[in-house]
Amino acid sequence: MSVRVSRLPLRIPRAYAELEDRSSGGVVLFVGRVRPDRSAGGEVGALFYEAHVPVAERALRALEREARRRFGARRIVLWHRTGNLAVGVPSVIVGAAAPHREEAFAAARWMITELKRSVPIWKTDRKRSSVRRGRTASN
Amino acid sequence: MCPKEVGGSVTPPVRVLLFATAREAVGRAELLREVPAGGVSVAAFLSELLREFPQLAPATRGSRFVVNGEYVRGRSGRLVPGDEFAIHPPFSGG
Repeated sequence: MSVRVSRLPLRIPRAYAELEDRSSGGVVLFVGRVRPDRSAGGEVGALFYEAHVPVAERALRALEREARRRFGARRIVLWHRTGNLAVGVPSVIVGAAAPHREEAFAAARWMITELKRSVPIWKTDRKRSSVRRGRTASN
Repeated sequence: MCPKEVGGSVTPPVRVLLFATAREAVGRAELLREVPAGGVSVAAFLSELLREFPQLAPATRGSRFVVNGEYVRGRSGRLVPGDEFAIHPPFSGG
């Protein structure tokens, strides 16, 4: 499945397999992970991710279509995990397979940027009980 | 809240979905609220929610509103029994 928002763990080998395409010479896999963040006092041990799942998956499918159109990507992976995730655990996988590396890199970079901007997913540091608006706790 | 009995038929409530700062403000991810059979404007529904949960006001500033999975412009649109209404604070996924 190219698009998924769920509590299921993100398996990198499965994402790579999803991108299999014999005509693609370039495959880019981006993995965003929960990182420890000491900037607001104290260290983040885990983040809680939540999503409005049907709306988020529809937005991801729109990103998939646009990445195919703009960059000629042949295969796409847009997976986001929800729930409580500890530091170091993958929260998002964005992958693109394209005929050449330039298109694959460009597609993956564009998709993760747009995902953060336009997909209804939120992360909360439950320890501090504050939503980390506009900040990047992964990648 | 239970669905309201109207004219012998059960009127399903509006399901309210709250995320992130909105969920934290109310202390719940989901609410059920009755609306008149003829519907109510999103603006009026929100005003009623804010009367019930004044602490929700900061979270609604900068939020977008969603009716049955579709974003509405500002606070336009209407809600009828059985609809789903969601409050989307600024996104922070990734």
